[in-house]
Amino acid sequence: MAHYDHDSLPLTELVAPADQTGVAEAVRAAAEQGAPLYPIGGGTSLDYGVRPVEPGLGLLLGRLQRLVDYPARDLTITVEAGMTVAALSKRLAAEGQRLPVDVPQADRATIGGVVAAGLPGPRQYGRGTIRDYLIGLRAVDGLGTAFSAGGRVVKNAAGYDLCRLLGGSLGTLGVLVQVTLMVKPMPETSALLACSLPEWETAERLLSALIQTQTLPVAVELLAGPTWQDDPALGPLPDSCVGWLVVGVEGSLAEVEWMIGELREQWRQAGIDAPLAFRGNRADPLWERLCEFPSPAHDDGRGEFSIQASVLPGDTVGVISRLARADPACSILAHAGNGMIVARLALEPDRLAALLESELRPHVSPLGGTVVVLSQPPGASLAREAIWGPPRPAQALMQSIKDQFDPKDILNRGRFVFPSTCP
Amino acid sequence: MITTAIASLAKDLRRKLGADGVLSAGSELIVYECDGYTIEKNRPDAVVFPRSTAEVAEVVKLCNRHDVPIVPRGAGTSLAGGCLPLGGGVVVMLTRLKRILQIDLRNRMAVVEAGVPNIQLSRALAGTGYHFAPDPSSQGASTIGGNAATNAGGPHTLKYGVTLNHVLGLEAVLGDGAILCLGPVNDPAGLDLLGPLVGSEGTLAILTKLWVRLTPNPQEYRTLRAIFNTVDDATNAISDIIAAGIIPAAMELMDQGIVAAAEEAYRFGFPLDAGAIAVIELDGLAAGLDEQQGRVDALLRKWHAREVLQAASAPERELLWKCRKMAVGAVGRLSPSYCIQDGVVPRTRLPQILRRIAEIGGKHRLRIVNVAHAGDGNVHPILLFDERDKEQVGRVLAAGHEILEECIRLGGSVTAEHGVGVEKIDFMERLFAPADLEAMRRLGRAINPSGRLNPGKLLPSADGPSSKAACGLAQKTDAAESAANGPLRS
Repeated sequence: MAHYDHDSLPLTELVAPADQTGVAEAVRAAAEQGAPLYPIGGGTSLDYGVRPVEPGLGLLLGRLQRLVDYPARDLTITVEAGMTVAALSKRLAAEGQRLPVDVPQADRATIGGVVAAGLPGPRQYGRGTIRDYLIGLRAVDGLGTAFSAGGRVVKNAAGYDLCRLLGGSLGTLGVLVQVTLMVKPMPETSALLACSLPEWETAERLLSALIQTQTLPVAVELLAGPTWQDDPALGPLPDSCVGWLVVGVEGSLAEVEWMIGELREQWRQAGIDAPLAFRGNRADPLWERLCEFPSPAHDDGRGEFSIQASVLPGDTVGVISRLARADPACSILAHAGNGMIVARLALEPDRLAALLESELRPHVSPLGGTVVVLSQPPGASLAREAIWGPPRPAQALMQSIKDQFDPKDILNRGRFVFPSTCP
Repeated sequence: MITTAIASLAKDLRRKLGADGVLSAGSELIVYECDGYTIEKNRPDAVVFPRSTAEVAEVVKLCNRHDVPIVPRGAGTSLAGGCLPLGGGVVVMLTRLKRILQIDLRNRMAVVEAGVPNIQLSRALAGTGYHFAPDPSSQGASTIGGNAATNAGGPHTLKYGVTLNHVLGLEAVLGDGAILCLGPVNDPAGLDLLGPLVGSEGTLAILTKLWVRLTPNPQEYRTLRAIFNTVDDATNAISDIIAAGIIPAAMELMDQGIVAAAEEAYRFGFPLDAGAIAVIELDGLAAGLDEQQGRVDALLRKWHAREVLQAASAPERELLWKCRKMAVGAVGRLSPSYCIQDGVVPRTRLPQILRRIAEIGGKHRLRIVNVAHAGDGNVHPILLFDERDKEQVGRVLAAGHEILEECIRLGGSVTAEHGVGVEKIDFMERLFAPADLEAMRRLGRAINPSGRLNPGKLLPSADGPSSKAACGLAQKTDAAESAANGPLRS
């Protein structure tokens, strides 16, 4: 069924419950034994987090793919967590709607996995994250008890927002079995405008100017390194340039044309004369690459680490230039409007850990930012602090929440920021 | 003994905050007996006015030492009793934390202390091309800290989202006096505590500082008022607009009753014979607005709008919004007392809920007028009565309950933006299953283990009211006072 990578998790056994009750039973059984349990959606982010060492049960959620309710006129949808993002998008597209969240490998990634991982994407700048669309959920806590949070209305102030709490928790508070999402009308069209950058200072100048325009971009991306050296859509990066700036817009034809014209004019004044414009369907391949951030093939077969630095938007360019200096061979995709910089680095684990420890975190921490490892190559197994960084001031508070929802620490034991309770 | 306990608490508070930072005389406390929800009242033991986060933390520690509830309060505009000092205790006023610390356009954010009134930030942003999007009708008075604590909404949440969508970070004082700082940079290495703290109505933490998102001002507005003969036509038109995939910036409904009140107060020029008026604001790029307006206009005509007028100027637009936002206040002209409800249904159920509200009003012989953030399915029926007539009060409560029951039955919720407070607390068990409430309680136990932060709000306790946790000095027995200072809830 799922093409998950066995090597990422120490699985003793796999179960694939047919329904939500089956999930609760599986969790209850694991809780009784106090055995770790690893929920698996599409298996696209199993490298995210600390590599667990304690053998446990793989809980496959791929059979939970029922469409529960889709009142399209309300612009909400309720589906089971194992539905793939591609299947969800197809349903929505039939009604002229969409979930405006970019998800790589959408034909495999499940909506539950997307909520649990909470990873960023290009459209986050204009459209927000999955957590902004999650209005209700159903999950099974670490004792096997199912609970619901939120509801099916787009505005709800009744009680604590557990939807946000579970979003990005990597399945450590509960196994998601069902979600209700607010969805949006599909925009008529989109376009991407790109220019090559002679140096990073130009990028910061263009980004600052962008803040003052009346255009409403949905994506503001900075690209650098081998992945983007000779991109199928963008073409070869001119020799004298350090990277690309790509700005994405969406809306009606008239709105998109107006914004492209406005941006062109602004860039022309900044000395950028011939930006590349991709409109409508012609923008799709580049949108896809911005979402997928494909890895360049390494001739020597080396694996890659993927890391994410998060800073205030105004600090993005500084982090990029530091990264590019530290490892000129790294590829960078920065969601510059949000200050999120994703980089792929083909380094030995020790070298990567040293880079994080002595270069990146000391630079980013004083700016109020953080650096985490998003994935590691097969064979690598970085320690918790190398992956998530030093424990945060709120660690104790988070741990007490974890203890409340999963007192036996069975859900994704050891993967997230919570140290394994087992000796 | 009890008086001595209060005196000792007040003395300790004065030592920390100075004489002008503490009120404890009975007559001075009357103002703080309730907030915008006036049905229940109770006098706090003391009211304090800290000037900094550090002082808030000191107050919290003192309250722990004296074992009294802590009730945070901003401007006190809550309509759900979120600031009601249930069982006394210390009301912590955040209104002296009133500095706008930073406006950072490059990062599209502002840093404000919790007591900054919403409107003041908007004013400070004038001319920058940016604004703070949450615009509850109370924005002239309500504080940004209060907006965040209740996850406040407003007309423009339809397009721009509720307060949570605009909070990037916060500083807060926890129940043990520790200071917690989250954001403004989103951190994947940990749980999203911002989500549960925003909207926690002061039961998890006292918010003292916020990093809020700034939103670019729209290039252009088209603010329309559509005049309908019936409420049904208006709600059908509104449902159709959303269903057609058009999300205006705001889509508000006012029925005949509220229009009459607003007209008497503000003389906008609304027709008094209209069954309902929809105020629809389209905003965004000028390049896209003609087309959007054309589509909206066609749907309004389809549902027999007899007139669709566009605000001709910025002042006219502002007056229209003033009328809408101040309309509830104008209801005072119709009736000696009124109770504004806050319910929400899936947006397609809007016609049904308004029909049912009318029926419920008829059944209980009550006049009900309606405003609604209709695009979100969020209704605000206003029940008119005379609070001196106890029998009428009973009918108002019964009708209010029936309306909320109906919201639940239609797949909605009992509060969209006002919060649970004390007003809706009994509905939580109707809206959520025991396991759902237990999940929320776990969060409460993890973050506010002593239960001293705003007890008796938001969540019904698992085993009936936790009388001691919700008990101030004035209500305490000697026995309770001499009990050990341990966690009040396990």
